[in-house]
Amino acid sequence: MLARGCWRRPALRSERRRLGSAAPRYEVVVIGGGHAGTEAAAAAARGGARTLLLTHRIGTIGEMSCNPSFGGIGKGHLVREVDALDGLCGRMCDAAGVHYKVLNRSKGPAVWGLRAQIDRQRYRDGVQKEILSTPLLTVREASVEDLLLTEPEANRPGKCQVTGVVLGDGSTVCAGSVVLTTGTFLRGRILMGLEAHPAGRLGDPPAVGLAQTLERLGFAVGRLKTGTPPRLAKDTINFSGLEERVPDNPPVPFSFLSKAVWIKPEDQLSCYLTRTNLRAQKIVLDNLHLNDHVRETTKGPRYCPSFESKVLRFPNREHQVWLEPEGLESDVIYPQGLSMTLPPELQEQVIRSIQGLENAKILQPGYGVQYDFLDPRQLAASLESRLVQRLFFAGQINGTTGYEEAAAQGVIAGINACLRVQGKPPFIVSRTEGYVGVLIDDLTTLGTTEPYRMFTSRVEFRMSLRPDNADARLTHRGFEEAGCVSQRRYEQAVQMRAALEDGIATLKSLQFSISKWSHLVPEVPISSSRRSPVSAFDILRYPEANMEILARAIPEPLRKLAEWRELSERLKIEAAYEWCVANQQQEIEEVRRDEALQLPEDIDYFAIDASLSAEVREKLNSSRPQTIGAVSRVPGVTPAAIVNLLRFVKTTYRTEKPKAFPQTGKYLPGNVDLEKANPQTQISAGISEDKLGSTVVKTPF
Amino acid sequence: MAVVGGAWSRAGMALRRALSAAGRRCAQRLCSVAPGDTIFAVSSGHGRCGVAVIRTSGPGSGGALRSLTGNAELPPPRVMALRRIRDPHTAELLDRGLVVWFPGPRSFTGEDCAELHVHGGPAVVSGVLRALGRLCGLRPAEPGEFTRRAFHRGKLDLTAAEGLRDLIHAETEAQRQQALRQMDGELGRLYRRWGETLTQALAHVEAYIDFSEDDNVEEEVLSQVDAAVRALEREMAAHLRDGRRGELLRVGVRAVIAGPPNVGKSSLLNLLCQRPAAIVSPVAGTTRDVVEVSLNVSGYPVVLSDTAGLRDATDPIEREGVSRARERLQHADLVLAVLDATSVPTDPDELGAALRSLVPPATPCVLVLNKADLLGGCTGALDACTRGSPLPPTTLLSCKTGEGTDRLLQLLGQQLAQLCGDPLAGSPSLTQSRHSAHLRGCMAALAQYRQQQDVGMAAEQLRVARRHLGHITGHVGAEDILDVIFRDFCIGK
Repeated sequence: MLARGCWRRPALRSERRRLGSAAPRYEVVVIGGGHAGTEAAAAAARGGARTLLLTHRIGTIGEMSCNPSFGGIGKGHLVREVDALDGLCGRMCDAAGVHYKVLNRSKGPAVWGLRAQIDRQRYRDGVQKEILSTPLLTVREASVEDLLLTEPEANRPGKCQVTGVVLGDGSTVCAGSVVLTTGTFLRGRILMGLEAHPAGRLGDPPAVGLAQTLERLGFAVGRLKTGTPPRLAKDTINFSGLEERVPDNPPVPFSFLSKAVWIKPEDQLSCYLTRTNLRAQKIVLDNLHLNDHVRETTKGPRYCPSFESKVLRFPNREHQVWLEPEGLESDVIYPQGLSMTLPPELQEQVIRSIQGLENAKILQPGYGVQYDFLDPRQLAASLESRLVQRLFFAGQINGTTGYEEAAAQGVIAGINACLRVQGKPPFIVSRTEGYVGVLIDDLTTLGTTEPYRMFTSRVEFRMSLRPDNADARLTHRGFEEAGCVSQRRYEQAVQMRAALEDGIATLKSLQFSISKWSHLVPEVPISSSRRSPVSAFDILRYPEANMEILARAIPEPLRKLAEWRELSERLKIEAAYEWCVANQQQEIEEVRRDEALQLPEDIDYFAIDASLSAEVREKLNSSRPQTIGAVSRVPGVTPAAIVNLLRFVKTTYRTEKPKAFPQTGKYLPGNVDLEKANPQTQISAGISEDKLGSTVVKTPF
Repeated sequence: MAVVGGAWSRAGMALRRALSAAGRRCAQRLCSVAPGDTIFAVSSGHGRCGVAVIRTSGPGSGGALRSLTGNAELPPPRVMALRRIRDPHTAELLDRGLVVWFPGPRSFTGEDCAELHVHGGPAVVSGVLRALGRLCGLRPAEPGEFTRRAFHRGKLDLTAAEGLRDLIHAETEAQRQQALRQMDGELGRLYRRWGETLTQALAHVEAYIDFSEDDNVEEEVLSQVDAAVRALEREMAAHLRDGRRGELLRVGVRAVIAGPPNVGKSSLLNLLCQRPAAIVSPVAGTTRDVVEVSLNVSGYPVVLSDTAGLRDATDPIEREGVSRARERLQHADLVLAVLDATSVPTDPDELGAALRSLVPPATPCVLVLNKADLLGGCTGALDACTRGSPLPPTTLLSCKTGEGTDRLLQLLGQQLAQLCGDPLAGSPSLTQSRHSAHLRGCMAALAQYRQQQDVGMAAEQLRVARRHLGHITGHVGAEDILDVIFRDFCIGK
């Protein structure tokens, strides 16, 4: 009999021998075909691992189970970063959108939010086509009931390691590492009015066996809730009189590889805005007794509340409802902002009280979902579990919400599952390098009590981590360290980086007096208090300036820079942000230095002889920070505690060998002079002064 | 969108002007100090002590040492050298003390370090801290920062040898506790209120960035934030100008010599400053204008003013002198009331009335009975009159012979200590210099905020401002900001 859920020591050897001959073997097995699972499987396969993707139904791979849109403010940044690591979702969106719009256009390129309404059908088809044709990637329809486990590897945290999975039919598959991306399917419950039934998504069964296994293994589990609005029939809606939102022309693609999106600008669809009123509020308030989901204490997202909770928290006002198309041919409209769990007949009353929806027909009522998630503080920054070796988690199971958050974790988990099998060091994106780094650090250090969504306000170095430079930040590392980036993309990124560096150098070398500039570019109001001479790069940072204006004034050598549209746009952004980014550089260095100081993974905070209060020990034990940088972000840890911890670790772990850590940095083309080498050191290794004091990385300019 | 452009494009030009002006100022102040992050702190124990050690660490240490010693040459490494220490900003001589130069990596933190061993008087210590704080690239150390730097440079063993536990305690816990104690008071409440205002302003701008497109976060939040920021700036500027206890120490206590004509007020000034700063003559009404000198009394900076004798003058010039004297008295922190010992009223009520005519109510005062040499030893009557009544601290003095000077200085020292507080007891001078450095940083960022055109960059300046205030009131994380956003706005996507 196979050991299920927990390993039994006496039988191990014979089992393994038996399995070795019978069961199929993959280097990486990914469970789940949602946005995290597809990205994880594709990334592992790109990295060179023989990969198996297991899903309940191949037909639902790439399904967008909630809103029909991708991106947004903060989320658009994540899509760009997934794309920079050669992930799927950016390219898929460029081939499936029906309404592209960059949000926050007026607020500066650091916070632009690339967003698109997506044709669900096209997106799903695109992802399935891509996944089914990815080399080294096999897809199988099967449910996973259990994990195969064995003794742990020495010198790593974890009480056992995963060696494969047990499928619904009792057969087994062996795996070098396993990525779990089961979304809301862990003990999912769907709620509508007073009815509740177990399910992940409407119509799909939840994964109960796996949830029990994880609980038996000792994973801390929490419960979250979310919801989705009713879907409406397009031809029953009266759009006249509603505020129309038109898409961008030309649309901005998500992917660095796309020159343009698939759809003709003029063929795009519009969205419409309507508002709720007090009649809708009254229906909700009169029927709270019929609404279990709203009354329960499980945490829902504050930023994506159900209509009921909006009415309760901000009464007596109108609430926005966006009417979004679900596809080019689709007859379905998604009323964004109207997530509800009222009984269906009352949902209909609410809908019909709204302008434009007086005769709207509900195709599918809204419902709430409650589901288990695993406390992400049990994961390392590589997304590998500290409890079970070689088991990775990504997506909604870690307490996040949103396709983009799931996809970003999926890429990182897939890369690391692959690197783990190859015996290479993990691929960690720092908070200073990307939104995905902030996302994973927040989750693994601080955990979450509500579904975690990306916001730009969570990001300390927002001025540096922009959508325009995601490739400069991540593509090179993805190629060199993770092997998950294609040659073509890498070459394109290298070319762009060189062109940016050249362009900046050229612009900086063009220096004239202010009076000459005023003559050359009269449309730019140059301040006369500036000291002469002024470079073209300085001029470019004026809001009134751009590369076309400069190239008209100085055709040689600027015309060829201005003619390359992407390049000239990026030069403009680099110029505008140079000052701000330079100001942040020192702080970035500080964070990196602290992040380079790794804490031993097996440290027992309750037992160690360091001067730490019981409260601090408790906090450190529950969040298990992996670096001193992470320690300093744990609330309630004092500066003295940090220093005492450093001292303890330094004196106790003196003899261990340093670990290899990925080299970060050199991604900000405008700013390389300021950047010093990042001393990547484990605390336990004595630090050599020479190495720290003198190395300065000079990026070729 | 157009509205946004208008609201935020106000000041492209102004920004650049401010930037380049700031750049020039910085360059002027910079002298020989290298850019980068250099920290300083008093590293000897807190409280009054004979010698105080002030330590710097970071790339600017060498330049700071050169600036303060006014010497282009650094002393030989790790050798003590006697130097005059001046404030490079004002060229004022602060002290003569021992300085040591530790070039990195052979130093406590592994970085370039300098140590200034100066006399432990509060005026000297705060003077040196102030001078360091004015140098570009130098800032007061945060709790634990020296030790952290030592660690990063692999120097923790050194600190262990020096008794790390005590050091950490002194450097972090003691400072933290002191900061906390200070935060209990009026000042703490003020800073916390500013912190809340700024957190809310930042949260609203963040909400405008993260949610305005799809949700109900309207542009008017920005104008509300603008107004809140302007009000905050005004309040902070007024606070930094305000002359309370900490400030007294910075510019000096305003002490005014007052009394009837021809009692020897100008002689007292000359005695205290040990030079003939004021003209003295036997003619009443010699002093017409206010004569002002800066002094160091018992380690406290004092600005001493001699004024015209107070009487109903007929000469228009003298009348103007008397009115200036009265005005000066109104703003005095301390009054030295001078009376002629030979003609002092012996009736306590009469004496009290004479004093009230000189000293504004509630102003601390020292009563000086001058011309004691003319009493010829008959002080009996005087003793009798001072014994029974609630007079201020009183001393007999002879400006002519110098007799009674010690007693006068002692009384002055006591009064000054009460006025200024003991700046090193509980080290508020260091905390104050940290506070004012962070408040100035906060204000600079708020000024930048108003001039930004890109909302992202404007928010960045608010973040910088909030971080500065966070060094005083405690930091605010992304979650706290989100809490405010979700409290104040209905985010309903």
